[in-house]
Amino acid sequence: MMQIIVQGLLLSGLYALIAMGFMLIFSIGRTLNLAYGAYIMVGGYIYFWLSQQLGMPKIVGFAGAVMVGALMGFLKHRLIVKPLKGDAVAVEISTLILAIIMQSVMVLVFGDASKILLPIIPGVVTVAGAQVTFNILAATVMSWIIIAALYAFVRGTHIGRAMQAVSMDEKGAAISGVDPDKINMITWAISGALGAAGGVFFASYTQLSPQMWVAPVIISIAIVIVGGIGSIIGTLIVAHIIGFLEVSIVALWAPELRGVFTMLLIIGVLVMRPQGLFGREEH
Amino acid sequence: MRTLDLRPHHLVLWAAFIALMLLMPLMVGNGTLRTMIFACYLAMFAISWDILSGRTGYLSFGHPFLIGIGAYTTGILTRRYGIPVEASIPIAVLVTMAGGLIILLPALRIKGSYFALVTLAVMELMLQLVPVIRPDLTGGTRGISRLPALTRGAENGYYLAAGLMLAVALFAWLLMRTRLGTALWAIGMNEESVRGSGLSTTRLKSFAFLVSAGIAGLAGAFYAHYLGSITPRSFFDINILFQIIVAVLIGGAGTIIGPIIGAFFMVFLLEWLRPYMPGTERFFVYGSIALVLYMYQPKGIMAIVDTIVSKMKGSRA
Amino acid sequence: MTLALEVRNLVKKFGGLTATNDLSFDLAKGESLGLIGPNGAGKTTVFSQIMGELRQTSGTIKLYGEEISKLTTAERIAKGVSRTYQVPRPFAELSVRENIRVGLMPDSLRAMIFGAPDRSREAELAQSIGFAPKDLDKTASELAMGDLRKLEFARTLATGAKLLLLDEVFAGLTSGEIGMIAELIQDLRQRGFTFLMVSHDLPAMEPLVDRAIAIERGTMLANGSFADVLGDKSVRASYLGES
Repeated sequence: MMQIIVQGLLLSGLYALIAMGFMLIFSIGRTLNLAYGAYIMVGGYIYFWLSQQLGMPKIVGFAGAVMVGALMGFLKHRLIVKPLKGDAVAVEISTLILAIIMQSVMVLVFGDASKILLPIIPGVVTVAGAQVTFNILAATVMSWIIIAALYAFVRGTHIGRAMQAVSMDEKGAAISGVDPDKINMITWAISGALGAAGGVFFASYTQLSPQMWVAPVIISIAIVIVGGIGSIIGTLIVAHIIGFLEVSIVALWAPELRGVFTMLLIIGVLVMRPQGLFGREEH
Repeated sequence: MRTLDLRPHHLVLWAAFIALMLLMPLMVGNGTLRTMIFACYLAMFAISWDILSGRTGYLSFGHPFLIGIGAYTTGILTRRYGIPVEASIPIAVLVTMAGGLIILLPALRIKGSYFALVTLAVMELMLQLVPVIRPDLTGGTRGISRLPALTRGAENGYYLAAGLMLAVALFAWLLMRTRLGTALWAIGMNEESVRGSGLSTTRLKSFAFLVSAGIAGLAGAFYAHYLGSITPRSFFDINILFQIIVAVLIGGAGTIIGPIIGAFFMVFLLEWLRPYMPGTERFFVYGSIALVLYMYQPKGIMAIVDTIVSKMKGSRA
Repeated sequence: MTLALEVRNLVKKFGGLTATNDLSFDLAKGESLGLIGPNGAGKTTVFSQIMGELRQTSGTIKLYGEEISKLTTAERIAKGVSRTYQVPRPFAELSVRENIRVGLMPDSLRAMIFGAPDRSREAELAQSIGFAPKDLDKTASELAMGDLRKLEFARTLATGAKLLLLDEVFAGLTSGEIGMIAELIQDLRQRGFTFLMVSHDLPAMEPLVDRAIAIERGTMLANGSFADVLGDKSVRASYLGES
């Protein structure tokens, strides 16, 4: 039981982190940015390349991953999203293609086989009777630090408030002196950075493979929608629902059914209650 | 045929296209024919996708799911229950339509982006579920092998695939020329106005979905027999989805010939790249071409051809 | 006198905001009613509720004596009510003819597949609203604002509804186009059509309506002849307050 609670908290923190980056983008454009999965995957691979293949310090690997993620977000906004001028269908299609392109690049550079990331911090600790690797613990703690920092940034800084303003009403924000274009660009870059950071932890939790991005991207999109778009608290709650659901099924039933129930939950909620569990109806 | 507004040049073009496809075995070798067989199946998948998503704008990211149901149904029926293919393929088509309806129909009521997400989640669900549920039927991760073959030799396989594709294309083309086709297209432009014109968009979308699923199931079932073996990864995979969508986009969404051109272009390009890039990294080249083309002309090659043709006509006049 | 439309105690709330506040009015068959009020008074919200695009919080809507609150938009249109939108919503890549064709289509899959489009009726509708025959094959995206508004009117007429809700049909039109549409509306009134219309162009609207009601913040201010309603003290106050 303790094992489930501890593992559940750990996995949920990770999901919350991945979902946060997606939420930023989804709340400004309401578009399914499928290439968000590419940030996750590329983040994991860049970290692997720098810290494991080149033997650089882990912090350098992590910083590299985050920077590449931010750069990808920035470029995607500049080269794809902006020229398409808010055509949701076109953005969805082009981000899917981009995700596959990035997947192929990873196959090209690193090969098709899965890679195991060495633990970010080796060692095992016993928390409340449950065995927890330092690696997972560190990932979770880092996730929560990043989530808290993001929250403070969105609520407490000028740029953060401008991001919120743009997400609610782009034209209104423009009238009050905010440059929506610049804010959108910053948001895409931050989202890329968060995705890449999440990808490092996610890869160390599971493993690194060119197909690793599909499930996390569905999960993060679903967490954001089910949690109610733009609701940070809702996002955190749903991240925990899904995290605990997966951990409980692995521990109590059958590990191979882990993803099955997550997908069923997502499909069920989206079809029955498309405004999400904690969101208001949009009109 | 006032319903369809057919013109003489339509008949000429169709006759030429059918003749070209059927004469192909006289012109090319068996290796190329095998590539073309795959292109024909991909073209059918692409036409199926386009009827739903290219027209109505409801993106299906779950089409591999439909194709997979068709393939698995005929696979299980023939290999586990010994049912002859003459019965198993029609059943597979019906099961695909029914399965698609039960799972995806409720999703058609929700907004476009959410529909795309639900379909993607359904595909991922199948990828995870099929290997673990009733492995005695599905064969687990190893899938089902030694499906009964329908034809022998590349030439017969080609005639079957090309004949099917031509039938599917002609059917879809005729259907899309009716008022129903216009209405589906209108949904993609402005669904509220279609509703405001007194039409039940849910019924229209469901019909488009049923036709799309029927074609996906049919093509999926025949494809499974052509391949001879099926695995979860070879059907419920995002790379399959990618190939379908890109074939449509490169050729031109909202047309029938566009997805066919796109599928042939894609399959032959991948074939030429094989010596240099044996694995899925070929998609890098392919995806890049698709993305650049899409950013330049979202309506694909067909629209570019149209522009060139009208320019040439313009300069002559 | 048969009633075309009966709205009783209609209420629509969005969260804490009341968009329609206990609104009741009738519309006799063949009558033409102007709905006036400042921006944001809730006129379009009333239209949306009559068409079933929004569900009312409470109250009833009867069409030709039949309660329609539970019907879908398509079913309501089949019963004979249709609307235009303030911002025209054409099918951008379809031709003028095909846009009208969508309006003419019966809501039956079988008829849509096996029935032929009525090309002469399409042309007739387009011409009655002022499109030249050469405009029929133009794509909607090539049209100017005035033409889009006319196209929207034509598509609304094409549904065959006899009760038409017109939302700002004159906005963005030249005086010549206004005259043409006004003439069409008068002609349709002669032929027994019923109208409920919203317009900021009060002088253009006046000859087209038998009666008017004024609303502000979803609440009825006045109901009577056009002159009486415009002369009403509270109506004048709400309009003056607007500018």
